[in-house]
Amino acid sequence: MEYLVVSTLNGVVHGLLLFMVSAGLTLIFGMMGVLNFSHAWFYMLGAYIGFTCTRTIGFWPGIILAPLLVGALGVFVERYMLRRVHKYGHAHELLLTFGLAFIIEEVIKLFYGDFPVSYQMPSYMRFAAFTIFDTNYPFYRLFIGGVAGLIFVGLYLLLTRTRIGIIVRAATFRPTTVEALGHNLPVIFMGVFAAGAALAGLAGAVAGAFFPTSPNMATDFGTLVFVVTVVGGLGSVEGALIASLMIGLFISFSVGLNWALADLFGIVGLGPWAQAFGGILTLKLSTIANSMPFLLMLFILLVRPAGLMGDRQ
Amino acid sequence: MTRLRYLLILIALGVFAILPVFLSGNLLNAIIKMMISALFALAFTLAMGQAGMLSFGHAAYYGLGAFAAVHAMRFVEAGAFSFPTPLIPLAGAAVGFLFGLLFGWFATQRSGVYFSMVTLALAELLYTLAPTWNSLFGGESGISTIRGASWGISFGDDAHVYYLTLFWVTLATWCLWAFTRTPLGRLALALRDNEHRVRFLGFNTHMARTLIFALSCLFTGVAGALLAIATEAANYTAFSSKASADVVLQTFIGGAGTFFGPALGAASMTFFARVTSDLTRSWLLYQGLLFVLVMLFVPDGIGGLIAEHSKKVKKGGYKALVLPYLLCLVTGLLLLAGVVFLVESTHILLSDGYIAKTKSSGGAAVPFSFFGQDFNPRSWVTWSIPIGLLLAGAALMPAAMKVTGRAWLHATQSAPAQGETA
Repeated sequence: MEYLVVSTLNGVVHGLLLFMVSAGLTLIFGMMGVLNFSHAWFYMLGAYIGFTCTRTIGFWPGIILAPLLVGALGVFVERYMLRRVHKYGHAHELLLTFGLAFIIEEVIKLFYGDFPVSYQMPSYMRFAAFTIFDTNYPFYRLFIGGVAGLIFVGLYLLLTRTRIGIIVRAATFRPTTVEALGHNLPVIFMGVFAAGAALAGLAGAVAGAFFPTSPNMATDFGTLVFVVTVVGGLGSVEGALIASLMIGLFISFSVGLNWALADLFGIVGLGPWAQAFGGILTLKLSTIANSMPFLLMLFILLVRPAGLMGDRQ
Repeated sequence: MTRLRYLLILIALGVFAILPVFLSGNLLNAIIKMMISALFALAFTLAMGQAGMLSFGHAAYYGLGAFAAVHAMRFVEAGAFSFPTPLIPLAGAAVGFLFGLLFGWFATQRSGVYFSMVTLALAELLYTLAPTWNSLFGGESGISTIRGASWGISFGDDAHVYYLTLFWVTLATWCLWAFTRTPLGRLALALRDNEHRVRFLGFNTHMARTLIFALSCLFTGVAGALLAIATEAANYTAFSSKASADVVLQTFIGGAGTFFGPALGAASMTFFARVTSDLTRSWLLYQGLLFVLVMLFVPDGIGGLIAEHSKKVKKGGYKALVLPYLLCLVTGLLLLAGVVFLVESTHILLSDGYIAKTKSSGGAAVPFSFFGQDFNPRSWVTWSIPIGLLLAGAALMPAAMKVTGRAWLHATQSAPAQGETA
């Protein structure tokens, strides 16, 4: 029972963090058709900006500055790079962001070294929110979850209840018509890209203080974020939320379970044979926890290629 | 033209054949790696450039080919059966093809970004599985083996491995080139350009795409096997997304639209990596910058640039281009020198050794040496060098672009129109 509750809580918080990063990615894709490879690197940049601010001007200014600076970088990338290669097709846009990821990672390594930095939350936020089954549950995890929840509500309201939201959604659907109606499409694109990047930067600044901040954090996160957006349906914010929670729970549960395929065979009496066969049949679920999201993504892509909430292929 | 091309190929082969006489083992190894990455890029281009399938997980088949070769060599070593070492790449080819068929069948049901995502997921699946699957992939340390002697050749010498690699790379390249001339090869181009139309013509596009993808994986497997033979080991990092990324970068720097471009890109980038990784720790930064610049300014890659020149420039037109290109070169070198100065001096100033030195000197400025010169980090003279270089480069750039553009018009103007315009 303890395992169940704690795993669920951890899974939900991890899932919400995933959502914070992937929300921007899915918005950008839905709008511009660009799969921004460097998105997880924006997240890492946010964490490092947060770290630098904590060292110099404090934690909260960092939380505010990180999304602003990363968003500004997003504007630059969209205006001066992506727009230039747009005419060569989506492959070139994707590959450009790919090279950008390299540059961001190496510049960070240049200034902060190859090893993790100690980015810490302020000490007054370091306390247990509550105690369940003798486990002190850190308040900061709830804080991460809360910020992500606020972002979801904010994004949802912005997209469904405001004029800006209506234009953005229309531009996703029929860009040329929106342009013909007198809206400045390039500016809308730039805004969406900047907003997506800013969300990733905010997520980095918030989560970096709890999870390790190191030059590897983007690589670890990058592919996972893709899995979330694909599973949720490229372009769908609700889908991204559901997929993030699913994957967060999936990982946090599979880490603690020692099931193997051989146990499955054991039910029908083939257990000893499967144990003797070894190989893939005796791999513990906990050791292959990292493979689970990819299995899930493959399954979704083959069964429902548009993703859980997506509406196109 | 074709005769000239054959002559060039023959000369190149001749040069490659006599290289081991002149080169040391270390350099020979570098060339072996270059040839292998060139083959990898060519195989990747079969799926990407010709059939338009941007695979983000080609390292999967590269790694599988390597592991297949290592296992085959281990079986031979253990005496389970005898199999001549020179034919080991066939094992890589077989495994690459089989997995290409299997994975490709799933992946090619989707196209565009979804195809890329499926291939990425499949490769990541292998990458995360391999370190935990000890019996097959040897865990995190991987498995190693020894090249057996066969056909009277010991394969202990670097030169033996070199000739083995050269033979297979040449054979595979010829096969890949010949494939573009087959009906299936032409179909690949049609699939890239308009899959709908191909389907309306009555082709089973899913089967065709699977087959083309599997063939690409076959040659990728050969490249992986050659790598395993050269290093006598295979490790789960062969599946990493970095390996997949490298081949994509190299292919696009070389130019995915041409046949030999990717090989050129892969060979030169492998060489670039080998040289710069010895010189500086931020070589990946330079590689990233190079890639972004190529994407922004030379979207067709090196190969595309060469093809453009050989197609468009009229006879004697190169004369007009020499000076503008020199100007561009100077501009580029100025900018490059500025960037390198900034990056490397930042690197030195932020290194632990330098920080310790400033602390022990009690806050006084400690000069840092760089390119055999001492610089004072607190002096404005030091920083005016890179800024001056960058400003000079930036000032020259518009002029260089204008002059080059005019010269390009001049060099191509009266050339007979061939196909589309630039």
